[in-house]
Amino acid sequence: MSFTRRETLIGASGLALAVSFPARGQEAAPFRIGALNPITGAGSAYGAGMQQAIFLAIEEVNAAGGAAGRKLQGFAEDSQTLGDQAVLAARKLVDINKVDAILGTWASAETLAIMPLVQANGLIGMNTSSAAAVQEQDRKDLVWRFEASNASYGKAFAAMCEKRGFKNPATMALNAASSLGNAQGFQRAWEAKGRSKVVADVVYEPKRASYRSELQKILSAKPDVIVAGCYTPDAIILLREAYALGAKNAWIMPGGSANSLVAESLPAEATEGVIAIETIANENSVAFKHFSDAYQKKSGRSSVDNIFAAMTYDMVISLALAIEAAGPGADRAAINAKLREVSNPPGQKVGSFAEGKALLEQGNKVDYDGAAGPVNYDENGDVTPIFGVYIFEGGKRVRRDTIEI
Amino acid sequence: MDLVSFVTLVMNGVVEGTIVALAALAITLVFAEARFMNAMVGDLMTTSAYMVIGGQKLLSLGLVASIAGSLVLSPLLALAVWALVFVRLEKANRTACLLASLGLAFLIRGILTFFVGFDQHVIPAPLLRAIDIGGVLVNPIDIALAAVATVAILLVFGLLKWTPVGRRMRAVADDIDLARASGINVRTVNITLWSMVGLLAAVAGIVLGMKTVVSAEMGWDMMLPAFAAAILGGLGNPIGAVAGGILLGVAQELSSPIVGSIYKISISFVVLFIALVFRPNGLLGTSVGVR
Repeated sequence: MSFTRRETLIGASGLALAVSFPARGQEAAPFRIGALNPITGAGSAYGAGMQQAIFLAIEEVNAAGGAAGRKLQGFAEDSQTLGDQAVLAARKLVDINKVDAILGTWASAETLAIMPLVQANGLIGMNTSSAAAVQEQDRKDLVWRFEASNASYGKAFAAMCEKRGFKNPATMALNAASSLGNAQGFQRAWEAKGRSKVVADVVYEPKRASYRSELQKILSAKPDVIVAGCYTPDAIILLREAYALGAKNAWIMPGGSANSLVAESLPAEATEGVIAIETIANENSVAFKHFSDAYQKKSGRSSVDNIFAAMTYDMVISLALAIEAAGPGADRAAINAKLREVSNPPGQKVGSFAEGKALLEQGNKVDYDGAAGPVNYDENGDVTPIFGVYIFEGGKRVRRDTIEI
Repeated sequence: MDLVSFVTLVMNGVVEGTIVALAALAITLVFAEARFMNAMVGDLMTTSAYMVIGGQKLLSLGLVASIAGSLVLSPLLALAVWALVFVRLEKANRTACLLASLGLAFLIRGILTFFVGFDQHVIPAPLLRAIDIGGVLVNPIDIALAAVATVAILLVFGLLKWTPVGRRMRAVADDIDLARASGINVRTVNITLWSMVGLLAAVAGIVLGMKTVVSAEMGWDMMLPAFAAAILGGLGNPIGAVAGGILLGVAQELSSPIVGSIYKISISFVVLFIALVFRPNGLLGTSVGVR
């Protein structure tokens, strides 16, 4: 059988129409979710997985019959790990896709940039950004943070320094909201322990071919540990160049940056002893086991390498439970107001949407125990993190400790 | 600032500047011959770096073999792009060519990321400790990379200066119609030109990739400094482009103790600004381009 080009086009447009108007009639309007993730840019190691996790969760909620009679519908956009691009994408999600919520902005720059848009339109915003400003600017309680804040990271870094007996820490930070925040969070937490100021402090620009000059400045202050607020690409460059320069100091980095790519891509002697601290998954939870298997199947990757994917998964499930609890016809504000109720204690612990939905239908209270964490929102909308301590040993990242702050 | 840190900063600036210089040279050569800003160089760089990764990870070749493969394939890619697109735009105006090169940049990146995704990659390479030369720590890898870059630059200069095809290239750069009228085969010139563009982009991409992390945007991100270097040196002037790149790199590093690591980048643009105020055609720029 052969088609002319025109026939093919007509056929294709018919197909497109059929796809875009599948459900006619009585069904309630879908709840539209914008998946705004860093598919490209510095966060690209995580963005695709975050997006897949969102759609995985959406499929699960829809397979369970939707929430309060509404199906979830996802729209994917790439934030490019840049504030301005995130705003452009968010505008499209709001104006064209008419989304109710935007999930999964990763860098603080993205989250902060789209926040005015989120608040002006009364959307629900969920992010994995650490900067303190994220919650300071959330005046309507519409923004929910799944990653530990800079302040909590800073405390974890300072606790680690104390545990290891470091006396003269220095900080290096990439010039981006969350990386700077991690370094400053550490400085504050360190000084709060009655210690003197850090011996040196350098802020550097992303996307440079070399950080030698910056490193030399830091190393000349002879720190015993460098606490680095960095992303993965610059972490690799820093460790490679520090090794070449014969640096003897220890390193403490956020685990999202000092990840397995760093371990695999540099010779073992360049990463030996690096301490990576990151929020760890809720490893013993039902949700985590279920998510890990489903994510592995969908993406072909291990969920261990992408805590942010587990976080975005929890976003959708927590949100869907809130939609369910708010009942049919509830508006965004009513749904937003239910988030704490379905995710925090008291309530029966649930590890999946279907389980929670069944209990909610019977009039029970539920407490979603997520894949990434217990998902208990505090008064700011932040979840309480658990930190894992990973040490680079012989080119492998090995979990050695946990820190609870 | 003591002498050791001064020398160190200058050295860092030269190393960083050399990468920019390679890209700027590729840009300026195209400008000299075809009179348009070639925005595609960055993505050629990216592709070349990925070719090394591909050679190592997919074909299990060694580092040297992968680099050699990339150095051969990248000029072929540049030639293919020329044969498919720019050959048809010979009579088109410069804006059309610039837009075509921009479009090609996006296309190349799109095709690349379609196949390899957006993951960051690292070119596995041996790691050596720096050598202490009178207090200045010199990284042997940096020396090797800078040497490779220098050889590439010298090759291009040698070819332009001493070979018949180089002489023809300079003639085309001077006046394409006159060159044609004198019986110069513009096609041969273009083939040489685009091979050089591919080669320079490959060296720049591989050196940058080995020093940093290979990602889909790495080359594109180099375009702003490379354009700045080409403009500073005088568009169409190969020596100017190289000098511009290195000068900007050194200016940046030397300013960092005074203005810090964030503002050092702005300093390089201040240098560009001041230079253009006094030399609007660039440091070595003339109205006729390559000589």
